[in-house]
Amino acid sequence: MPDETNDDVPAPRGWPAGFGVGADREDLLRLTALRGTKPLDLHRLAWREGSARASVRAIAAGRAGTPGDRDRLDHVDGDEIASAVEAAGARFAGPGDADYVDRLLDLPDPPLGIFVVGTPLASQPPSVAIVGSRHCSALGREVATGLARGLAAVGLSVTSGAARGIDEAAHVGALAVGGRTIAVLGAGIDHPYPRAGRGFLSRILEAAGTVVAEYPPGVAPHARNFPARNRLIAAIATAVVVVEGVDRSGSRITADHALDIGRDVYAVPGPITSPLSFTPHELIRDGATLVRGPEDVLHGLGLHTARPATVPAPSLEGAELAAWDALEIPALADDVARRLRVSIPEAIELLTGLELRGLVRSVGGRFERRFRVAPPTSDEGSATVASATPDAG
Amino acid sequence: MYGRVTAVSLLGVGGHRIVVEAHVGRGLPSLTITGLPGAAVNDARDRIRPAVEHAGLEWPLRRVVVNLAPANLRKDGPGLDLPIAMSVLVATSQVPARAVDDVVFTGELSLKGELVATPGVLSVAIAAARADVRRVVVPAANGVEASQVEGLDVIAAPTLGDVVAYLRGTWTPAPPASAASTDRLDDEVDLRDVRGQLQARRALEVAAAGGHNLLLLGPPGAGKTMLARRLPSILPDMTRDEALEASQLHSVAGLLHGRGVLRRRPFRAPHHSVSTSGLLGGGATYLRPGEVSLATHGVLFLDEFTEFRRDAIEGLRQPLEDGRVVVTRAIGSVAFPARFMLVAAANPCPCGYADDPRRACRCRGDRVESYRQRLSGPLLDRVDLRLRVPRLTKQELIGIGEGEPSEAVRTRVVAARERQRARLAPLGVGANADVPGPIARRRFPMTADAERVLGNAVDAVHLTGRGFDRALKVARTIADLAGVDRVDRPHVAEALSYRHGVDDPEEARARAG
Repeated sequence: MPDETNDDVPAPRGWPAGFGVGADREDLLRLTALRGTKPLDLHRLAWREGSARASVRAIAAGRAGTPGDRDRLDHVDGDEIASAVEAAGARFAGPGDADYVDRLLDLPDPPLGIFVVGTPLASQPPSVAIVGSRHCSALGREVATGLARGLAAVGLSVTSGAARGIDEAAHVGALAVGGRTIAVLGAGIDHPYPRAGRGFLSRILEAAGTVVAEYPPGVAPHARNFPARNRLIAAIATAVVVVEGVDRSGSRITADHALDIGRDVYAVPGPITSPLSFTPHELIRDGATLVRGPEDVLHGLGLHTARPATVPAPSLEGAELAAWDALEIPALADDVARRLRVSIPEAIELLTGLELRGLVRSVGGRFERRFRVAPPTSDEGSATVASATPDAG
Repeated sequence: MYGRVTAVSLLGVGGHRIVVEAHVGRGLPSLTITGLPGAAVNDARDRIRPAVEHAGLEWPLRRVVVNLAPANLRKDGPGLDLPIAMSVLVATSQVPARAVDDVVFTGELSLKGELVATPGVLSVAIAAARADVRRVVVPAANGVEASQVEGLDVIAAPTLGDVVAYLRGTWTPAPPASAASTDRLDDEVDLRDVRGQLQARRALEVAAAGGHNLLLLGPPGAGKTMLARRLPSILPDMTRDEALEASQLHSVAGLLHGRGVLRRRPFRAPHHSVSTSGLLGGGATYLRPGEVSLATHGVLFLDEFTEFRRDAIEGLRQPLEDGRVVVTRAIGSVAFPARFMLVAAANPCPCGYADDPRRACRCRGDRVESYRQRLSGPLLDRVDLRLRVPRLTKQELIGIGEGEPSEAVRTRVVAARERQRARLAPLGVGANADVPGPIARRRFPMTADAERVLGNAVDAVHLTGRGFDRALKVARTIADLAGVDRVDRPHVAEALSYRHGVDDPEEARARAG
């Protein structure tokens, strides 16, 4: 690539003064339509050339960017993008705009701008990202929902992607307690992924949430967009919690971005036999904070002074308590019957009784304890989000 | 020259007495059959003359007209070969007319004059007995089958020549084999072979005790087929009438294979590629019972339930509701009995590994959803027990020996059925599963404790009205197994555990909303 920038010297934080502002905005929009040139290179180019217009010219002249992007520049019109953004009910925020929150500049490869729908990012409370596998387990889904509930309940917002699985569970959990969430798309702002996710994106927006994308309207969700999308999640959030992820998962990428820019990384352990536990366990081994419940995250953020609660032992007695104790790990009704020395109908009856009380669930024919969230009580939650977080707003 | 003999024509599983008359007159040699002959009868025309000649008898080189009376009834079935041949032999005085009085003939002929195994002989024998005929002549291979009908003299003949010799008084048939040669019970599969899976075994017992249909959801290798195959072994023995009906259906389908009467309850497991008429009954020229009818008084097992043709599955609703299936084709319409217990099995998701603790499921979320939707449908309303069957880990299998044998389970099932019989007789149904929901609510009293648990479940697990009824019926069966008159809390709690694995669409909506 005919790029004369010295790769060893990182570009300064932020953007050059006046970059993409005012008359330079149209060329900035044109730059957002590029697909081949990496954000890191565009950021360097901006510092070398000083303005979006000059950057466009450098690419057009073949002094920077990829040949594909040089051709693409011929077809893109900043005004067209602007009107497509308007048609999608979205807005564009470039450097210097309120929606372009300062946190994004923590990235070595910040976005040229972001496309936004809903409540301004700057008005959202501090956010914790909850990420994990699209193909999550029932347990993972429940854990993500429970964490999101617990975090949203104290006034934090929750950031995640817009995919199924853990992403969806995180949004659902926060919305259930009236919390706010931020969904970051791996596609154009008019093209939520997955298609069936439209319903829940509108619920996010109704609940004063925000939907964010780095790409202009018309960009389809594509696997190569997701690693880049993940860096935005890391940047927007104060901390990242990984719930479930297989080896080499997208969650790992999000966690790596988070570590690169100094965000705290938390991970929820799972059964060591499950492939979905790979990423969280690897992160924990490498120093991420182990999470047993929202209290652990709140504690880490300095928001929750009380000792993190363990899974609260429900007030049970007799045979029900024995059945509960037998479920330290997910178990068959057969095993519970054997341990308690009761008949199989009795064991089924005990376990179903616990299930009806919301303490136990049946997953794939085995019974397991439900992940439970103890709502933070008022005397413990003396530190509120707004006062305790320096970078709020 | 004129001759007449009696025969039985089959319609569905039922038989009708008909008269086969033959006229041999002047004209070029020919054979005409009148009186609404079906495809199989017309097919017989060219077969009968060589059969007669090979038997050392004479075929008249004249114009032969055979009439099947009454003329308004369609006659079908390969069993009419023998009566047609006999009518001609009587008309040509090769057999004395008096000898064929009070005899029903049935059997298909080979060109060599042998009587070959013929479908539907049991039905023919039953119809003959009902029409007060005292003797039937059947192929030797069908002798055991025909002799199951009481008060009937069965002549099981190997060839047409033997039949003629018998009627002339020069041949005495061997007495039909005794009932000992009917199917053996000792090669039956046994629940003893199922290791572990106590919860699934229990569900099987509850299903058997209350006649409840069952859905097994689990990954490949969990043992769903093994469990389902053993359900007949814990059901009560068939009554004489049930056994006769099941055997008749097998006979009509040509599946009795020389056995007399079925003693074991049928287990039918059609592959998911089965055609709609293969499953429900039908056929272009000859209406045959389908798998639902062959499973009568036994178990219909549909493995890979989601892979069956949609219209075939939809067609299961009628037999599940009415215990019979009406097959309508251009050639007519016939009702076959179809009273069976349904066991459906499926993977929990397209790849089969959803919720498996050791293997990640790689199915896309929307595919899992559409897959689960295929499992919900109105048909599943008739399935009271839904169970997740996990694949056991090595640890879970350690130290587990043989299971309880089928016989011990069957004893409990029989006792539970006995309790139901007394209660359900006034309702005209045989088992708890057949009681309509509203009637169950009135007739199955619960303790206050049980009512509270079931009521709470409506909120706690979003139980729907239909789910409520299903749980109540299953709880009633569990109480019957326990020998208790009033449905109590433990019975309801256990019943509520059998709704796992498939979401009621309403329940799922309630949860999501």
